[in-house]
Amino acid sequence: MNLILDRLIPYSLKDRIASSSSAIWNQIVTFDESNKIKIEAPSGTGKTTLTHILYKVRADYTGSIKYDDLELGKCNEDALAELRQHHLSIVFQDLRLFPELTAFENIEIKRLLTPQFSTQELVFEMAEALGVASILDQKIRFCSFGEQQRIAIIRALMQPFNWLILDEPFSHLDQENIKLASKLIASACEKRNAGLVIMGLNKDHYFDYSKELVL
Amino acid sequence: MLDQLLKKLIKNSAGQTKLVLAVIGLSIALILILSAVQLQSNYYELLNGKKNQDSVANFLVINKALTDQNVGASSLSGAQLNDLKKQAFTESIGSLTTSRYKASIQSNSQLFPFYTDIAFESVPEEFIDVNTKDWKWDEQAAFLPIIVPNQFLDFYNFQYSFSQNLPQLTPQVVKMVSFKVTIQGSGQNHSLNGRVVGFSNRISSMLVPQPFMDWANSKFASTNMIQQPSRVIIKTKDAGSPALTDYLKKEGLITDSDKTRFSRYRQVVDFVVNISSVTGLLMFTFALLIFSLFIQLTIESCKEEIELLILIGNSPKNIGRFLMKRFFPPNVYIVLIGLMFISIAQYLLADYLVSKQIILSSFLSLFTFLAALLLLIVISIVNYITIQKYLRIKQRTK
Repeated sequence: MNLILDRLIPYSLKDRIASSSSAIWNQIVTFDESNKIKIEAPSGTGKTTLTHILYKVRADYTGSIKYDDLELGKCNEDALAELRQHHLSIVFQDLRLFPELTAFENIEIKRLLTPQFSTQELVFEMAEALGVASILDQKIRFCSFGEQQRIAIIRALMQPFNWLILDEPFSHLDQENIKLASKLIASACEKRNAGLVIMGLNKDHYFDYSKELVL
Repeated sequence: MLDQLLKKLIKNSAGQTKLVLAVIGLSIALILILSAVQLQSNYYELLNGKKNQDSVANFLVINKALTDQNVGASSLSGAQLNDLKKQAFTESIGSLTTSRYKASIQSNSQLFPFYTDIAFESVPEEFIDVNTKDWKWDEQAAFLPIIVPNQFLDFYNFQYSFSQNLPQLTPQVVKMVSFKVTIQGSGQNHSLNGRVVGFSNRISSMLVPQPFMDWANSKFASTNMIQQPSRVIIKTKDAGSPALTDYLKKEGLITDSDKTRFSRYRQVVDFVVNISSVTGLLMFTFALLIFSLFIQLTIESCKEEIELLILIGNSPKNIGRFLMKRFFPPNVYIVLIGLMFISIAQYLLADYLVSKQIILSSFLSLFTFLAALLLLIVISIVNYITIQKYLRIKQRTK
C-alpha cells in the first residue's frame, strides 16, 4: 500500500508554509510500501498536525492523502474503521490510553478488534520483551510515562497494518529500552511487510531509513 | 470480552435516579396503554364472542314512541326507513307486516275448549329465530304455521291457566295441538287449520309466514288502509352501541330498552378506555423523553472514552450497537412485567365476572400482545435514533 501526499496545507500552518520550504507541506510526496520514512520536524513545523492528518484525526487541510486508491478525505466512518483496524496503526505522542483501564486491558481492547491476528500470549511476550510485564495489571494512570509509552507501542502492534505511524515514540525511554522497542517494531513491520513513518525532533538511527525528510 | 471492556469504559454515570424514573414512567405508561387495549378487546369479545352471543340483543324491533301528537299516525315514512337503513349500526332491516283483517283461533277439541280474537304479524324469514321446516305456507298447505312469543306461553302457564282452571302446557304439547283459525274481512269468511311450530324470544307477536300474510291481506283487508309499516326489525352487531341509542332518541323511536342497556356500560367503557389510553400515551411520550435524555447524558459523560474507542479503530456503528445492547434490554423487561401485571389483572377479572354470568377469556388478547410488540418497536426505534444522533454529534464536534 503506497502512501501519497498531494500538496497538503493545513489551515493552521498556511502562512508559515508560504514563507518557508518543506519536504512535505505543499509537495507531492510518495511513500512506497514497506519503506521506513523518517520525518525530522523541529518544534512548530506541524509534526503532530501531520500525524493527525495521516490518521484522519483532523481534516482541516487542503490537498489530499491517498492510501493506494483510498482517498482519506472522502472515506466514510465504516471505511475509516476498517482502515484503522487492518491497514493503519499509530502511536500518538500523547499516547491516548484509557487511564481507568489497566495496561493489559488497554492492549486487549485493541487486540480484540482483530482477535484472529494476534493472541493473548503475544501480549505477554511483548510486555516481557519491553520490561512492562509486571505492570500489566496496573491502571494506566498509575504507570509512568515511559511505561505508558511501551504499552502504547505494544497496543499498536496488536493489529495488522500496512503503515505504522509513530509520533516521538521513544521520548521517555532510555537507550536500552529504545533498542528493545525499535527491534520489536522493526520485526513487526517485517512480519507484515509494512512501512513506517516516524516523527522526531532530531536525526536518529532507530531504524534503517529508506527516506529521511525535513518537515 | 470486548463488550466487558466497553462496559467498564461506558459507565452508567448519568445517575441511577434518572434511570429509575424513566423505568417507572415507562412501566406505568405501558400498563395504562396495554390495559386500554385489553379492556377494549374484552368488550369486543363480550359483543361478538360465541359464548356471550345473545340472539335477543342483536335484533331490535323499533317503532315510534307514541305521544299525544302522533296517535293514529304511528307509521314510519319511507324517508325514515331509508335513513335508518343507512345508519352504520344497521346490518339489515325488515318491516313487520300487520294483519289488516279480523282473526280468531278456536280449539278443535271439546276436551280443551278455547276461543280468542287475535292479530298476526309477519317478518321476512331471515329475522326469525325459530328453525323449522314447517315454516312455509301456500294455498294448498294443510295447516298454517304460527310462531308464538315465549312470554305468551309463560303468561298462559303461570297466570291464565290458574285463573281459568285450565291445565298447564309444555311447549311440546302446545306444538301438537291443532286448532281452527278463522279470518274474516271484506264480507268473507275463511277457516283453516293452524298449529304452533315454535316459540320466539325475538319478536313479541304472533307470527305467520309472509306469503300467508300477503295473501290474506290482499283478500280480506277491510279497507285500503295504510301500507306503511309502523314497526320494523333491524339486525345490528352491537345493540349496546351508544350511536344507536342516540339515534333512536333523536328520531323519537323506541325499542326494548332492556336490549340497549349495554350502551350505558359501553359509554363507561369507552370513557375509561379513552382516559386510560390518552394518559398512557402522554406518559409514554414523557417517559421516552426521559429515557432519551438518560441515553444522551450517558453518551455525553463518556464522550472522551467513545472518541478514543473510535480513534483506535472501533466503528461508530459498533459502539452504537453496544449502547443499544446496554439500553434496550431494560425496556424488554418493562414490557414483560407490564404484560405479566395485566395478565394477572385479566385473570382475576375473568374469575370475578364468571360469578356474574359473564364469560371472559382468562388470558390476554392477541391485540394486547401486538400492542406490546408495537410499543417495544417504537421504544427501540427511539433509542436507536437517540444513540445514533448523539454519537454523530460527538464526531462532528470533535
